[in-house]
Amino acid sequence: MPRVFVVAELNDGVLNDLSLQCIGAARAMAGADGTVVVLLPGTGAAAAAAPLNAPGVAEVLVADDDRLAAYTTEPYLAVVKAALAGRPAEAILLPATTIGNDLGAALAAALGAACVTDADGVGAEEGRPAAWRVGFDRKVRTVWVAAEGRPLVATLRDGAAEAPAGSGTAAVEALSLDGAVSQTPCRVVRRDVAKKTVNLRDAKVIVAAGAGVGGPEGLELIRRLATALGAELGGTRAVVDAGWMSADRQIGQTGATVRPDLYIACGISGAIQHRVGMLDSRTVIAINTDPNAPIFRSAHYRIVGDLKVVIPKLLKLLGA
Amino acid sequence: MPHTIAVIAREVWDTRDLTGQILDEAGGLRPGALQTRFDPEDLNALELALRIKDAHGARVVAVGLGAPRQVEVLRECLYRGADAAVTATGDLAAADTAAHARRLAGAVRSLGRVDLLLVGTAVPDDDNSLLARHLAAELGWPAVSWVDAIEELAVDRVVARRAVEMGYEYVETPLPAVLAVGVALLEDDPRAPRPAKAMLKLKMKKAEIPTVPATDEPAPLTLRVRREAVPPRAIETATVDPENEAALRAMLDAALKGA
Ligand SMILES: Cc1cc2nc3c(=O)[nH]c(=O)nc-3n(C[C@H](O)[C@H](O)[C@H](O)COP(=O)(O)OP(=O)(O)OC[C@H]3O[C@@H](n4cnc5c(N)ncnc54)[C@H](O)[C@@H]3O)c2cc1C
Ligand SMILES: Nc1ncnc2c1ncn2[C@@H]1O[C@H](COP(=O)(O)O)[C@@H](O)[C@H]1O
Repeated sequence: MPRVFVVAELNDGVLNDLSLQCIGAARAMAGADGTVVVLLPGTGAAAAAAPLNAPGVAEVLVADDDRLAAYTTEPYLAVVKAALAGRPAEAILLPATTIGNDLGAALAAALGAACVTDADGVGAEEGRPAAWRVGFDRKVRTVWVAAEGRPLVATLRDGAAEAPAGSGTAAVEALSLDGAVSQTPCRVVRRDVAKKTVNLRDAKVIVAAGAGVGGPEGLELIRRLATALGAELGGTRAVVDAGWMSADRQIGQTGATVRPDLYIACGISGAIQHRVGMLDSRTVIAINTDPNAPIFRSAHYRIVGDLKVVIPKLLKLLGA
Repeated sequence: MPHTIAVIAREVWDTRDLTGQILDEAGGLRPGALQTRFDPEDLNALELALRIKDAHGARVVAVGLGAPRQVEVLRECLYRGADAAVTATGDLAAADTAAHARRLAGAVRSLGRVDLLLVGTAVPDDDNSLLARHLAAELGWPAVSWVDAIEELAVDRVVARRAVEMGYEYVETPLPAVLAVGVALLEDDPRAPRPAKAMLKLKMKKAEIPTVPATDEPAPLTLRVRREAVPPRAIETATVDPENEAALRAMLDAALKGA
C-alpha cells in the first residue's frame, strides 16, 4: 500500500497516545516502499507534535489554529481535506475515540471512501486496503475491504497495533490553512471535561469496581484493597456513569484497555464491552454474588460471594 | 408549530452472551444461532424523541429499513408512542452504511419538513457505525454524535449534551440536524426506555406502515469479505470458597507472584 495518512488526535493540548498506535499500523500497512503522512489538528498542535515524528514517517503536518480549540466536525473535516488535497492516500487511519469515530465517518462520507470504525487491525486483501473487527461476543472476526478504486478510512481501537519506538527524520511543518477552516454550523457552548490523571495501561495490579459495590461506601472497600496491594483503581462504565469514579478509570470498549499482571474484578457482571478491556490480564480474580456472571468466563479465580464479606477477608490476609 | 422528529429504528443482532457456534463452515451466520433485538441506542433515540413530545409536543415518526426479521421494531415504536412509521426498501445485510444512509435519507425526505433526525450512534458487531454521519452527508444537515440529553430546544436550534471520554460537551446546532444518541442515555432511569402500552397496541396494531422505495441502488463502498471464527480463549478457572481462608491465601500468593 503506497500511501497511508494518519489523523492524530489532541485532547486539550495533550497528544492522544492511540495516535502513535495508528502510526505503527500505518507503517506496517505502507510497507517498505510506501509513505506515511501524519496530520495533527488542534490548538497547541505544534507544541505537541514531536512524538509523531516516528521512524518511517515521511511528513508530520500540524494545523495549529484557535478555531480548532474544541472539536466540531466541519472545521476538522475541512482541515483534513485540505491536507489530503496534495497528498492522496489509499488508507486513512484515526484513533477510535469519540473524535476519531465522528471525524472518520464524516471523512468517509465526504470522500466516498470505505469506512470501518472500531477496527482491531488493518492490512491488505488482494492489494486493497482492509480492516477487521472482532465482534459477536468476541467470537467472530469480520474482514472488510474498500471497493475497487476507493480509499479506506479506518478507526483503530486501543491495541490494534504497537506504537513505534524511537524518533524519525521528518520535519514538522505547519499546514497552510488559508480559507480551509470555514464557518461551522455547530458551536461548543460549554465543556465539562476533566483532565486525565491516571494511566491504567501501565499498572501492574488493578482492582476494579462494578455496580455491585452499591455506592460510594462499597467503593471505599475496593479502594482499601487497592491501597493494600499497591494497585490502581479501575471501574466499569456503570460506576463511572453513576459518578462514583472519574472517567479516566473506566476500563473497556469505550475506556482503557489494560493488561496488568493481576486484575481483581469486584461486583462486575462482565459485559463484553467491559471484558474486551481486560481480557489479556495475566491473572484475573473475580468476586460476584451471581454464580453465572459472565465475568467468571474470563477469570482464573472465581469467588462466588458478597464483596462486602470477601474483601475484608482479603484485607485481613494482606495484613491491612 | 411543533417539531417533527424522525427516529431511525434498526433491528440488529443480539450479540450479548452468545454460546455455541455462530458461523457455519462457509463462514456464514448459522441460521437460528442469533436472535435479533431493537437496537438499544435507537431505542434510546426513540425515548429521547418521546420525551421531547411529552414536554413540548412533537410529531414522532419512526423510520426503518427493510422487512422485519424477528422483531417488528417499527410497530414497537408505534406501541411506545410514535405517531407514524415508514420503511425504506433494502436489506440490512446486502449493503454498507453509506448505502443504508442513502435509502434512509430518502425515507426521511418523503416525510416533508423534519426538524430533528435521531439515531443510535454505534452498532459495533456487523455494521460500521456512525450511520448518523452518512445520513448528515446525504441530507446536508449538521450532526452531533454521542448525544445523551437535550439541554435546550428552540424552534430553529438545539443544544445537545454530548458524552465524550472525560466528561460532557454542550453543542449548539441549527435545525434541521441529526443527533446520534449514545448508549448512556437514561440507562440509570428504571422507567426508561418506556415499555409498549396496551392501549397503543390496540390502536396501532393495524396502522399502515408505508414503504418508500429507493430511488437508486448505490453500490457499497465497503465490502465485507468474510467472517472468521475467533477461537475461544482457553482459560482454566479455579473456584475458591470464600469461607476457606487457606484457599484465599493460596490464591493471593499465586496471583501476586511476579506482580
Ligand atoms: C457501545 C457500548 C460501550 C460500552 N463501553 C463500556 C466500557 O468501556 N466499559 C464498561 O465497563 N462498560 C461499557 N459498556 C457497558 C456494559 O455493557 C455494561 O453495562 C457495564 O460494563 C456493566 O457494569 P457493571 O458490571 O459494573 O454493572 P452490572 O452489569 O449491573 O453488574 C453488577 C454485578 O455486581 C454483582 N453484585 C451485586 N452485588 C454484589 C455484591 N454485594 N458482591 C459481589 N457482587 C455483587 C451482580 O451480580 C452483577 O453481576 C458499554 C456498553 C455499550 C453498549
Ligand atoms: N444487523 C442485522 N440484524 C438483523 N438481521 C440481520 C442483520 N444483518 C443481516 N441480517 C439478516 O440475517 C441473515 C443472514 O445475513 P448474512 O449472513 O449477513 O447474509 C439475512 O436474512 C439478513 O437479512
